[in-house]
Amino acid sequence: MTTAPTPTPLKFTGAKYLIQRLVLATLTGRPIRISQIRSSSHTAPGLAPHEVSFLRLLDAITNGSHIEFSYTGTTVLYKPGLITGSAAGHGAAGGVIRHELPADCARGVSYFLLPLCLLAPFSKAQVNVLFTGPGVITSSTEAGDVSADTVRTAVLPVFRSFGIERNVEVRILRRSNCGREGKGGGGEVQVVLGHQVRLPKTLHLMSAGRVKRVRGVAYSTGVAGANNARLIEAARGVLNEFCPDTYVFSDVSPAPLVPAPERNNPSAKKKTGLGFGLSLVAEGNTGVLYSADIASPPQGGEPPEDLGKKCAYQLLEAVGQGGCVSSVAAPSVFTLMAMGSEDVGRIAVGKDVVGSEQVLQLARDLRAFGMSGWGLREGDEEDEVVVSIVGKGVGNVGRKIA
Amino acid sequence: AQAIHGRKQPYRVAELAKLMYNDMLSTAQVLQTWRGQNGGAEAEGKEDDEEEDGLFKRRREGGGADDDERMVPRLDYEALEEKWKDEDAVAKLRRRFARAKVTGANAEDLGSDDDN
Repeated sequence: MTTAPTPTPLKFTGAKYLIQRLVLATLTGRPIRISQIRSSSHTAPGLAPHEVSFLRLLDAITNGSHIEFSYTGTTVLYKPGLITGSAAGHGAAGGVIRHELPADCARGVSYFLLPLCLLAPFSKAQVNVLFTGPGVITSSTEAGDVSADTVRTAVLPVFRSFGIERNVEVRILRRSNCGREGKGGGGEVQVVLGHQVRLPKTLHLMSAGRVKRVRGVAYSTGVAGANNARLIEAARGVLNEFCPDTYVFSDVSPAPLVPAPERNNPSAKKKTGLGFGLSLVAEGNTGVLYSADIASPPQGGEPPEDLGKKCAYQLLEAVGQGGCVSSVAAPSVFTLMAMGSEDVGRIAVGKDVVGSEQVLQLARDLRAFGMSGWGLREGDEEDEVVVSIVGKGVGNVGRKIA
Repeated sequence: AQAIHGRKQPYRVAELAKLMYNDMLSTAQVLQTWRGQNGGAEAEGKEDDEEEDGLFKRRREGGGADDDERMVPRLDYEALEEKWKDEDAVAKLRRRFARAKVTGANAEDLGSDDDN
């Protein structure tokens, strides 16, 4: 769509890293074909509900995208269009795109938020999406998603260093934990990403500094608020030794009601998404953020004391990994660096953050999309690697043409 | 000297830079080699086993969630609890925290921290 009339689609296989590849395809304007999506599975071959839902979201915020499924859903052909955001006339009512998640969605809403945050800076108009419906889980999930709170407090602030800072907001309108069997929620989240840039600034983050305070949010939906107090108490018990400046907010809300029509009572509603959870963020003196997340499992059976402690330990691990970005924000940061202007950006990250399958695959995928390779060298601190990424200046390819 | 030379030092950055774009290895194998967990050769062998052994493969599909990328790491929390009871680990990590002046009920015993 950029220069050549029809570039041949890049070919990928497997369901893993599907979102990452779709995002990169949209940003670079390269069509992709992903095949063998869970093709060996007998019970659930093809795309999962949350993946289909993400494709719908991509369709909603772009103009001229072309998405083709095979009959079994194991192959997807995606030709990206321009990222228009919530421009009037493209499915946005009153400047807001309503995106309903289906009830069988097992992933947290952050699964959609993180890629959306990556696309939004390169959009034509501002992105304003309301996630609603019976599938919105704002808490962290068993599937390994972070909570919407963590996206708000630990990932979005990182975008500031790329010059994306104005009018960027994630509003959690209604909280929800995961429902029965970890599926569905009933929460509501609105994302406003109103700062569009031509190119993200070149990043130089070399000093991780020291952690000066810990903040967090404990949430209970539909269960007693005492759970929050117990979560906080347990987490503080661990963290106080390291960081006395620890403050955790407590949010108690009733369980969301979602429609559950029956034959006799078509307007019946049921409660869903009961539970509690904790999101902790450690802030460094150089603006570095580390986060940890935990939520009660849908089948229950975990006392808040245990969960609070686990979350604190998880945070200590994240801090122990060191570096200027945590593993939660690292993929977003690396992607934005690659999209930046044609200059070398450098960032010091922990060895275990670079040495994760997801980041390695991201490096490979970026190269497949024609981005430059990463340079690695030993950092100043032990356990740190300095990753230098040359931007390609293709970030806002859509806007230049439109 | 040969023995020392042959044994690869784990977690070397230059090593990762070399391995990263080697498309012959899967990302999991790259990591295993990098961490010095008996190299990629054995990992490859394991991969083959998985493909042959139908039983094992089916069980993996049942797992499902494992196929997806996770943001929240799976951690062995019991091991972690042990780890943070260890004084050395605590002292090591404490260096990563700024020592803040505290004003609270227990400010005294927190302020009298050991020097870094």
